Amino acid sequence: MARAFRRRGRGDGVRYVASLDEDERAIVGDLMGQVAELLAPPARTSTGDDSFDAVVAGMTFGDDTGASDVPDVPRDPALDRLLPTAHRDDADAAAEFRRLTEGGLRDRKARALTTAAAALRGGDDVTLDAAEAPLFLTALTDVRLVLGDRLGLESDEDLDLLEARVDRLDATDPLTAMLGVYDFLTWLQETLASALLGD
Amino acid sequence: MSLAPVTEEVVTPEGDVAPDTPWVTIVWNDPVNLMSYVTFVLQQHFGYDRAKAEKLMMLVHTEGRAVVSNGTREAMEADTEALHGYGLWATFRKDG
Repeated sequence: MARAFRRRGRGDGVRYVASLDEDERAIVGDLMGQVAELLAPPARTSTGDDSFDAVVAGMTFGDDTGASDVPDVPRDPALDRLLPTAHRDDADAAAEFRRLTEGGLRDRKARALTTAAAALRGGDDVTLDAAEAPLFLTALTDVRLVLGDRLGLESDEDLDLLEARVDRLDATDPLTAMLGVYDFLTWLQETLASALLGD
Repeated sequence: MSLAPVTEEVVTPEGDVAPDTPWVTIVWNDPVNLMSYVTFVLQQHFGYDRAKAEKLMMLVHTEGRAVVSNGTREAMEADTEALHGYGLWATFRKDG
């Protein structure tokens, strides 16, 4: 049975401590790992040479169109929640922003998620210091953003509608389990955010 | 009573360069991010005090969006990137 995050100590010695059982830690850690994988840059690593990278990206076999654009790989819609469009009226500015920031954002988020998952491997007492707590808090956000996408949460009313729908579903329905995990992460994040705000 | 003639100094921008119109960073409401978390991020990233962070957070919640910072385009792009790092739905645009 999970126990909420609480602040202990103060100053440099401040710690944020929760208690999660083995199953809870496994689920949360596994989801953090999955989102880190979703965000990890493609295997093709940048050489730092834009022209060379563009050539490599444009290489496709059996492509007779002669197009030199990056192949149209289906993009997981959850990535649009993790890395949203930065300009709503200017597609060129949005594309330029994405080109300049997406690689770094993906890398930083993936590393934070991996660090957060590691904090869950030390036993039932999850203890975060002042530097780790905000990283863990944001890792919880990124996992919830992906789950929110999977659950189809697009407006503030959707969660209530979904809860009502799940009430009518069989307890073994996968949607019931996913919503249960989402609600658990929401609760856990709320307790850590409150502890960080000093409430 | 008389007044000495006033010499008014009119400052005009040099040349044809338009004055640097401020840009803004906007945070949009989304169904996932918690009110407490948004408050925390606004305090953490901008250094706003609790009252200001909560006021902006409530604007996002009730109005659907709020301008959270303004300045040069470069600064707004940096704020937007940082807020994306936190998982907030942020955009930048020219003010007005």
